[in-house]
Amino acid sequence: MMRVNAMGDACPIPVVKTKNAIQSLGEAGGMVETLVDNEIAVQNLMKMAQQKGYSVKSEKLGAGRFQVVMTVGPGAVEDSGLAECCIAPVSEGRNVVAAISSGTMGTGAEELGRTLLKGFLYALSQQDQLPRTILFYNGGASITCEGSASLEDLKSMEAQGVEILTCGTCLDFYGLKDQLRVGEVTNMYTIAEKLTGADLVVKP
Amino acid sequence: MREKRPALIVTFPTTAAAMEAERFCLAQGIPGRVIPVPREITAGCGLAWKAPPEAEAQMTEALGAAGLTWSDMRVLLV
Repeated sequence: MMRVNAMGDACPIPVVKTKNAIQSLGEAGGMVETLVDNEIAVQNLMKMAQQKGYSVKSEKLGAGRFQVVMTVGPGAVEDSGLAECCIAPVSEGRNVVAAISSGTMGTGAEELGRTLLKGFLYALSQQDQLPRTILFYNGGASITCEGSASLEDLKSMEAQGVEILTCGTCLDFYGLKDQLRVGEVTNMYTIAEKLTGADLVVKP
Repeated sequence: MREKRPALIVTFPTTAAAMEAERFCLAQGIPGRVIPVPREITAGCGLAWKAPPEAEAQMTEALGAAGLTWSDMRVLLV
């Protein structure tokens, strides 16, 4: 049985770690035990297991100590979107979506625009209420890729449950398909769905 | 609420000076990054260099040696 220690980790990290452990099981499948320290994480893991059809059981081992054991059948390992597994939404009120459509913020001097966008993403990561989703497309696609100065801020937001999505067509066009370093690849249907389903779209 | 941590915040007289300092620090491998000036310092708009709190002596020496000017350098919770 594989063991995952996700004590002290906030959503979606326990789910991410467990998913990685499940993927490492390979075709043969097997059992994964995850240790977490809060009920929300247990619920997130149970929800993920149910969505994927894994058998799952949980047990409270003590104060602030829970065990979740999943049994993954042969051939049942598959990749999946993880953000949907999060019960605790980052933005409990409005569904705020940030759309980053360029490598710069505003139009004018290119160097200033790049610096401003870096500053915006840093300031966004420091807000008490984070957006639910950040979309990156066209020139914005490079911001989630190798060499971007904003990776640390984006990873911090992702660890707090923000969904980071980058346009796959754009990654392909700019030759960045192997360079994505944070979040998931998405397509235009999801981008359209996220934008039309948002209560507020923030476009710096 | 988000947890705040101490950091050395260096402000500059102009945006261009801040960007010049960023180029210099990145080229020299000086730890830190550019951030918008924290609201605790000014309600105005501007860029600052954020570095580890213990970096004050290194920053003073490096910026001074390069002839770069700064307005203020202090440790803040950000």
